[in-house]
Amino acid sequence: MPSVDEPALRLVGLTKVFGSTRAVDGVDLRVPRGAFFGLVGQNGAGKTTTLSMAVGLLRPDAGTAEMFGVDVWAAPERAKPLVGVLPDGLALPERLTGRELLTYLGLLRRLPRDTVDARASDLLAVLDLDKAERTLVAEYSTGMRKKIGLAVALLHAPRLLVLDEPFEAVDPVSAATIKTILRGFVAGGGTIVLSSHVMALVEQLCDHVAVIDGGRVAVAGTLDAVRDGRGLEDRFVELVAAEGTVARELTWLSS
Amino acid sequence: MAVELTMARMRVAILRHTLTGAQGEMAASGVFLGAVLAAGTLFVAVTADAPLLAAVYALWMAGWILGPVAMGGGDETLKPEHFAMLGLRPLRTASGLLTAAFAGLAPMVSLVALLGLVVFGIREGVVGALLSLPAALLTLVLFVLVSKVATGLLGLALRSRLGAIAAGVLNGTLLAGLCQIWVFLALFEESGVPGIVWYVPSGWGVRAVQGEPLALVALAGLNLLLLCLWALLLSRRTGAARTFGRPRRPIAARTASGAVLAKELRTWTRDLARAHQLAFALSFGVCFGASPVLLGWDGMLPYAGPIFVVMAAAMTSNLYGTDGTVLWLTLMTPGNDEVRARQWAWLLVMGPVAAVVTLGGTAIAGGPWPVALALLFSLLGGAAGLVPLISVYGLVPGTDPHKRAGNPLRTSEDDGGLTGLAYLMLGLVSATCVPAVLVALRHGWPGVVLGLATGVLCFVLFGRLATARLRSHGPDLLHMMRTGRRPARPTAAAVPLSAPRQLLVWMAFAFGSIALFPQGIVATVFVALGMSEHTWFLATYMPSPFGYPTSIAMTLLGASLYAFAIHQSRKAAPSRA
Repeated sequence: MPSVDEPALRLVGLTKVFGSTRAVDGVDLRVPRGAFFGLVGQNGAGKTTTLSMAVGLLRPDAGTAEMFGVDVWAAPERAKPLVGVLPDGLALPERLTGRELLTYLGLLRRLPRDTVDARASDLLAVLDLDKAERTLVAEYSTGMRKKIGLAVALLHAPRLLVLDEPFEAVDPVSAATIKTILRGFVAGGGTIVLSSHVMALVEQLCDHVAVIDGGRVAVAGTLDAVRDGRGLEDRFVELVAAEGTVARELTWLSS
Repeated sequence: MAVELTMARMRVAILRHTLTGAQGEMAASGVFLGAVLAAGTLFVAVTADAPLLAAVYALWMAGWILGPVAMGGGDETLKPEHFAMLGLRPLRTASGLLTAAFAGLAPMVSLVALLGLVVFGIREGVVGALLSLPAALLTLVLFVLVSKVATGLLGLALRSRLGAIAAGVLNGTLLAGLCQIWVFLALFEESGVPGIVWYVPSGWGVRAVQGEPLALVALAGLNLLLLCLWALLLSRRTGAARTFGRPRRPIAARTASGAVLAKELRTWTRDLARAHQLAFALSFGVCFGASPVLLGWDGMLPYAGPIFVVMAAAMTSNLYGTDGTVLWLTLMTPGNDEVRARQWAWLLVMGPVAAVVTLGGTAIAGGPWPVALALLFSLLGGAAGLVPLISVYGLVPGTDPHKRAGNPLRTSEDDGGLTGLAYLMLGLVSATCVPAVLVALRHGWPGVVLGLATGVLCFVLFGRLATARLRSHGPDLLHMMRTGRRPARPTAAAVPLSAPRQLLVWMAFAFGSIALFPQGIVATVFVALGMSEHTWFLATYMPSPFGYPTSIAMTLLGASLYAFAIHQSRKAAPSRA
């Protein structure tokens, strides 16, 4: 059983090298239980690579990842049921409808059949996907894909959610729905780690933040500690902007 | 002309980038093969008479039509979608893309072959010589346009389930026809070059050179017509392909294995790529077994079912790669026997079809029952075991199903990798039937029992190996599919195959196929059935004690050529980017 004192997610020295690029370079993170944790960084900073290694989808070159004290890579069969994952841009069983997908996954998760049916109906209704009952996942819009992906992550009622860019290409109405679900999840004692490059969103939702830059953790802590009295966006640009990349106007556009 | 020249320049620039590395070597061996064929055509133009030359050009045109269809969509270096925002008229886009299409290796090779018309014209006299150059150029335009229109029509057809199945049936029939070309050569030998070659547009150039200038006018008119048709097809090409199969039956399973089985069976009926694979294998098997009936011989009919099984295994050899990054869900739900359930699904889809074809064919031919059934059981088990095993060990990164816009059959950009895997599967699956068939040939029914036993053994054992591999290497396979690259192995100093070696590998595959299947396995069956002096099967011409040794030597030769080719291409595989 997962230990009661361990953090929901602990990453120690996670490293991944692709060719000559150190995509993730010794990332240490501690996500306390009940936290709404935002992982922010530029495109290519290493967010997706870090999260993939954290949940057991990408083998790290060095370092460890633990969920509730269970090592993801040493004991995957015990660790993986503890987490719900929404990866960015990966396929789903595309030739199933939303309900068929949830039924399939519920059975893979070894949930009783009637529980699967009840939860699938609930999720489809809440996420406003029940109207697409006859549509195959392959034909879903990007926003619908995110929503069915969230349903996939939530189905087995895990205590930790790891969400990679959950709000990308989601319309404002669906985004509001997702936010409500996520806030309720945290209020009920769950832990969420999400990645995003939309600072306003992270500021609005999260209570903990880590800034990733060049495969390393630039700063991590509670939202207020990281912001340091300023807006998150200003603080972020200050942390990650390299020398000489000061924003410049296009004079020929405004003249 | 500005649009046309720009597009041609773009094409040349892209071509220059692709002519490096493994792809470049592939192109080099293609050009070499084309050059040999073009030289053969020139030789025909110098020595033979007009009907044969017209027939040869008909074959060239068939190549232009079938090549892209067989490769699953043809050259897509420049896509019309790239120019959609420029506001060009469809005819303008078409003529630009047509110009660009000439800036390639295949048109140049064909042009060399078409110079045969000039050679032939000189033989015919002054008028012939004068008409020959425009005839050659117009015929080249014809080849390119016919190819584009055929690809465009295929693209339209592929938007529906019926179209995917029709394309599969057509492709399977054509490939079977090529493999059984001896049947048609034997037919031609009886009746001579068919007169139809004069009516096919590829023969109009020869007619013009022979003193029919009107044929040139007709050719030019036809080209214009094809250009308009192509422009029309380009403007109809929009967005992603539709899927099919409305959900009617809710998943009734109650267990994890049942859920995987239900998912797989639904995918088999709803995924266009899989529907195409199934139709292709079935039509190949049936046509391969049935084509000798044209010569009045039904002795191959019992093997249509087993051939279907082998081809189906080859077509599905990249099972996990075709499904793409959905593997992440399998990785996140450990503890399920995913592989075993997929094996059952494969058997449930292929088994009944194979059984019906085998039983039907054997009944019509009146036997031999033990051999046919031994083949059926051993191959079904062998294939259901090898398909998951090979697809996890030799995985070729594919295009995720939801990203296959335009051409739903193009499951991967790595055509060479897919072809190599399919060949490997052909050889390995065929090998699984050898013990059962040998026993069935000699002792009859005990061979069927042995076939059943080896089938079950392969199913269980290979399935278990695949499961173990998935457990130990799952995340690495997922990473490979995510990035589209094989992971670099720091220790293995893998170098890409050099051009001559690449050619050697392809020749080994080609000659290995001839030695292993027709001259080896098929000839063994013929010798066993006591048939002598049968068309081109060498072993059947041998005096009595030498029949078996010849066919067995051929089988061994074929197998070793295969082994060599596979070894060489495996060695280079990790470097394929």
